Amino acid sequence: MRSRIDKILLTILLIAFLVSLYLVFLWVPQIKASNVSEQIAQKIFYYHVPSAWLGFLAFFIVFVASVAYLWKRERKYELISVASAEIGVLFITLVLITGPIWAKPVWGIWWTWDARLTSSLILWLIYVAFLMLRRYLPDGSKRANLSAVVGILGFVDVPIVYYSIRWWETQHPKAVMASSEGSLAAPMFIAFMFTLATFTLLYIFLMKKRYQLLVLEDQVNKQFKEMELL
Amino acid sequence: MRAALAILKKDLQMEFRSKESILAMWIFSLLIFVIFNFTFEVSRLVMLEIAPGLLWVAFIFSGMFGLNHSFAIEKENGNLRSMALMPVDGGQIYIGKFLSVTSIMLMFEILIFPIFVIFYDLQLSLQMLMLIPVILAGTIGFTSLGTILSAVSVHTRNQQILLSLLLWPLVSPIVIWSVNLTGVIINGEITASFYPLLIRVVAFDVIFFTLAYMLFDFILED
Amino acid sequence: MSTPALDLLDVSKDFGRIIALRKVALRVELGEFVSILGRNGAGKTTLLNIISGISKPSSGKVELFGSDPSDTVNKSKLAVISHEMFLYGNLTAIENLEYYARIYKVPNMKERIESLLHSVELTHRRFDLVNTYSRGMTQRLTIARALLHEPQLLLLDEPFTGLDQHAIGMLTKLLLEQKRQGRTILLTTHDLHIASELSDRYVIIEKHQITHNGPMKDTSPEAIRKKYFSIDTEVATA
Ligand SMILES: Nc1ncnc2c1ncn2[C@@H]1O[C@H](COP(=O)(O)OP(=O)(O)OP(=O)(O)O)[C@@H](O)[C@H]1O
Ligand SMILES: [Mg+2]
Repeated sequence: MRSRIDKILLTILLIAFLVSLYLVFLWVPQIKASNVSEQIAQKIFYYHVPSAWLGFLAFFIVFVASVAYLWKRERKYELISVASAEIGVLFITLVLITGPIWAKPVWGIWWTWDARLTSSLILWLIYVAFLMLRRYLPDGSKRANLSAVVGILGFVDVPIVYYSIRWWETQHPKAVMASSEGSLAAPMFIAFMFTLATFTLLYIFLMKKRYQLLVLEDQVNKQFKEMELL
Repeated sequence: MRAALAILKKDLQMEFRSKESILAMWIFSLLIFVIFNFTFEVSRLVMLEIAPGLLWVAFIFSGMFGLNHSFAIEKENGNLRSMALMPVDGGQIYIGKFLSVTSIMLMFEILIFPIFVIFYDLQLSLQMLMLIPVILAGTIGFTSLGTILSAVSVHTRNQQILLSLLLWPLVSPIVIWSVNLTGVIINGEITASFYPLLIRVVAFDVIFFTLAYMLFDFILED
Repeated sequence: MSTPALDLLDVSKDFGRIIALRKVALRVELGEFVSILGRNGAGKTTLLNIISGISKPSSGKVELFGSDPSDTVNKSKLAVISHEMFLYGNLTAIENLEYYARIYKVPNMKERIESLLHSVELTHRRFDLVNTYSRGMTQRLTIARALLHEPQLLLLDEPFTGLDQHAIGMLTKLLLEQKRQGRTILLTTHDLHIASELSDRYVIIEKHQITHNGPMKDTSPEAIRKKYFSIDTEVATA
C-alpha cells in the first residue's frame, strides 16, 4: 500500500524536519541565558509546544469522530477515532518527555506537581484509559459505542483539566512568544510556525497510515471469515 | 421519573439487604485515616493541611464501592439487557442509577464525617455548614461521571480496575476543587474566591450530568 | 394486507470480524407462532436480539408492528425469555416482579403478580430471595416476569432449558394460552417435538442465512431432523 502520495508526503516531511532543525538550532539567534545547557534546553520549546498543540488537535478529532460515529454508525469513524487517539497519546508522550528534559537544567528538577504538568499527565491518562478500554472489549458495535462515549466525555474534560490550573499558580512558562523583545520574537515565531506546520503534516501522515492499516486489518479479517464460510 | 424511582428503590432494597458490606466499607474508610496517620508522621499543622485531601480519599473509596457494585449487579443475570429492553429511555435508567449511587455515597459520607471530626479534632463552627454544598457538589460530580463510566467498564473483564482508570483522571478537576474548597472551610476563612470555584464545580456537575444523561442510550444498546 | 407483527428485510449482522447473520428476510403475521431452528452458532439468538432491538443490524431493515423496534411503544409490547433470567438474586420473587411492574406500568400490580405467581406455581416461595431458588424455579419466575405486562410479541430463546417435565408442560400450556389470546410468538429451541407441537411455521437458519421457511403442518419432527440436523452417519457411528 505504498502509494505515490505517501512517498511524496514522506519526502516532504523529511525535508521539512531537516529545515526545521536548521531553523531552530542555527538560524534563530540564541537566547540570553545563564549557561549553555539552558540555552540548548530552550530549543525544546519548538518541539514541546507543537507536540502539545497536536495532541489537542488529535483529541479534538477523537471527539469529532466519536460524535460522528454515534450519529452515523459507520465503522470508518470508529477507526478514525482510534487512530487519532493513538497518535494524540504519542504526541502528549512527547510533551511529557521533552518537558522534564527542559525542566532539569532550568528548574533543576525533572518533575514538579505543578498545575500545567499535572494536567498534561491527566490528559495523557484519560486517553491511555480510552485505548485500554478498547483493549479490554471484544470487537463489535458495543465497543464502538462505549469508546465513542468515552471519547466524548474525555474531550469535554480537556478544557476543564486545563482550566483547573487557574486555581493553582503555575511555574510553567506562559506564552514565550509574547516577549517584549520584538526583534527576537520574529525569527522565533517563524521557526516555531514552521515546526508547527511540520508537526501538523506529520500528524496527517501518521493518521493516513494508521487509518489505512486499520482498514486493511478489517479487510483481511473479513476475507478470513468468507473463507471459513465456504 | 417513575422508572428512575423504581430503579432507585430496587437498588436500595438490595444494598440494605447486605448490611455487613456497608459496615465493612465504613470500617475500611476508617482504616484510611488510621493508615495515613501511621505512614505520615507529621505535625498537627501539616496534618490539618492534608486532612481535606484525606477526607476526600475516604469519600472516593466509599463512592467506588457503590460504583463497582452498581452495574455489577445489573450484569449478573443479564439485567443490562433487560434494561435495554425496557420501554423507558436510557436517560431514565441513568437517573435511577445515579440516584442510587449518589444516595449510597452520601450515606457513607455522613457516616465518615463525624469520625473525621473526632480524629482531627476539628472545631465545629457555623462556617462548617458550607461543607454541605461543597460535599454535595463534589459528590454529584463524582457520581454523575462515575455512573456512566461504571456502565462502560462493566462490559470488560477487569471492570474495577478499568473504572478507576477511566474515572479518576476524568473526575480529578472536580475532586481537586472539592479538596480546595473543603480546605478553605476547615482551615481558613471563606474569601471572595470561594464562591466562583464552588459555582464552577456545580457548573461541571451540570455539564457532565447532562452529557451522561444524553449518552446513556448508546451504552445500553449492543 | 394488514401490517405484520414483524418484518425483516435483508438483515445482516457482524460483530466486527465475526459474521452472525447474512441477508435475513422474515415476515411474521400477527398471532403467528414461529419456531426458529438451527445449529449452535447459526445466528438464532442474534436474530432475536435484533428483533428485540437490543442489537442494531449492521445493514437491512427491521420493523415491529410497522415501526422501529426501539420505539418505546414497541418495547412495551415486547417480552424476552432467554437463558439470562433478568432477575435480581438479592431480591425476593415479589420484589423482582414489583420492580418490573413499576417499570412497565402494570395496572393492578398486586393482583396481577399474585395470579402469575400462582400460574407458575411459586406462590409458596414468593417471599424467598431468588438466590435460593433452583434453576427450574428461577426459569419459572423468569416466565412470570416476562408475561407480567401482557406482551403482544414474545421472543423465546430456548426457554425450556433447565425445566423438568412438569414445568415444560406448564410452560407449553402457558404458551398455548398466549397463542389463543392472539399473541405473536417466536421461539428458538433444539427440541423439534416441542417446536412442532406449538408452532404454525418453522424457519431454519444455516450458516447465518435462512435456508427454509415453511408451515409446520406439512412436516414432522423426524423429517426436519433428517433433512437439517442429521449428523453425518459415518461420524456418528465411528
Ligand atoms: N456479542 C458477540 N460478539 C461476537 N460474536 C458474537 C456475539 N454474539 C454472537 N456472536 C457470534 O455470532 C454467531 C451467531 O451466534 P448466536 O448466538 O446468534 O447463535 P445461536 O444460533 O443462538 O446458537 P445457540 O444454538 O448456540 O444458542 C456465532 O458465531 C457467535 O460466535
Ligand atoms: Mg442462542
